[in-house]
Amino acid sequence: MGAAKGSDRRPLAAVVVLIAGMLCAAVASAAEAPARDEYVAQLERVCKPDAEATQRAMKGARADLQAERLGRVAGKFSQAAAIFGSTIGKIAKVPRPSGDLAKLSRWFGYLQRQESYLRQIAAELRTDHAIKAQKLTVRFIHNGNLANNVVLAFGFDYCSFRFSRFG
Amino acid sequence: MKRFPAKPRRRRALIALVALCLCSGMAATFAQGERTQEGNLIASLDGGLSPLLLPRHRLAPVALHLEGGLQTDDGSTLPRVTGMELGLPGQGVLTTRGLPVCSPTTLRNATPEAANKVCGPALIGRGRLTAEVLITNQPPFTIHARLLAFNGRIDGRRAVILHAFAASPPTVVVLPFVLHLRKGRYGTVLIADLPPSLGPWPHFTHFDMTLSRHYVYRGQKLSYLSASCPLPHIITAGVFSFARATYVLEDGGRISTDIPRGCRAR
Repeated sequence: MGAAKGSDRRPLAAVVVLIAGMLCAAVASAAEAPARDEYVAQLERVCKPDAEATQRAMKGARADLQAERLGRVAGKFSQAAAIFGSTIGKIAKVPRPSGDLAKLSRWFGYLQRQESYLRQIAAELRTDHAIKAQKLTVRFIHNGNLANNVVLAFGFDYCSFRFSRFG
Repeated sequence: MKRFPAKPRRRRALIALVALCLCSGMAATFAQGERTQEGNLIASLDGGLSPLLLPRHRLAPVALHLEGGLQTDDGSTLPRVTGMELGLPGQGVLTTRGLPVCSPTTLRNATPEAANKVCGPALIGRGRLTAEVLITNQPPFTIHARLLAFNGRIDGRRAVILHAFAASPPTVVVLPFVLHLRKGRYGTVLIADLPPSLGPWPHFTHFDMTLSRHYVYRGQKLSYLSASCPLPHIITAGVFSFARATYVLEDGGRISTDIPRGCRAR
């Protein structure tokens, strides 16, 4: 009987250990996942220098376009795309707030599309397809606004899309 | 037998319905314009130039439409706004040569009809304003006002004098936006200080305004606002930084939204 009782307790102990383990894991992941404010601050620290670098890279793009120096404008868009791609890479590694996972996943989707648009605009300009680049620019701006709307409540500054940074 | 032709028709109707829903959804998205959020406060701005089709190398008369406002994401009371700045691109030209000037003092306590009677020749635009009124020990309520914009001068500077009139409860507010020319993307800036003496008005939620005025001066046709679409010949349309609205809040904070808009070159 005593042996039987001991064997009955073993599965119970295993369940307790399992629950305790799950609780520990939950506590650990809760500790890893930052609060939204903390997350925003972390991302802004990454985005700020990159946004400023984009602004520097795009400086004079409007004048170049005006003077029909499409090759130079293409170079500036390529540089902006490279900076943007590197920013996405860096901010994607930052642990996300557990309550915002779905929202941020959508946002990153839009950001990747933004990078793709920048590369496509550069490619079209390099091959003198100005009208195609013009159409892509409209999509780029629309996509940027959609991205901003997804994370509106986060109150991003440097991590949000601002057309004025692109010349 | 009869059902077969009905199916494609139904499918077409369904496609049309889906397209309609998508279009109205997109329209709703654009109607709000661009938004920025700081804490629980959301600022929005929308607008555009009319017509969109403009000459590449010379100025043409245009009308400017702007609408925007403030809201909170949790429905809490709006903070008081103590100042407002509207930045417009420096490439646009604002002409007031020969345009009559209206003094803010003549508009005080005037109904829109009386304001038009006194300052009609200086009229440069119209719009609407919605404000949240907060009175102690009373629930907040909303008032809707008609806006008239007049050409004016404040301390020697050009200004847009806004006259807001609400019928219920009867209220008149005169608000001067003084014109400053600066370097930078938004070279033309209209700045208004909203003193506490304005009462409940600074808790405004929404405004929309269209500025446009064509007039003749010494036989010459002039427009209060003119713009071109200075694009190279290789492209037909372009996007530019169109406007920025900045609200200064009573705690010293600021929230601003800027919007790019396009023009088409002819």
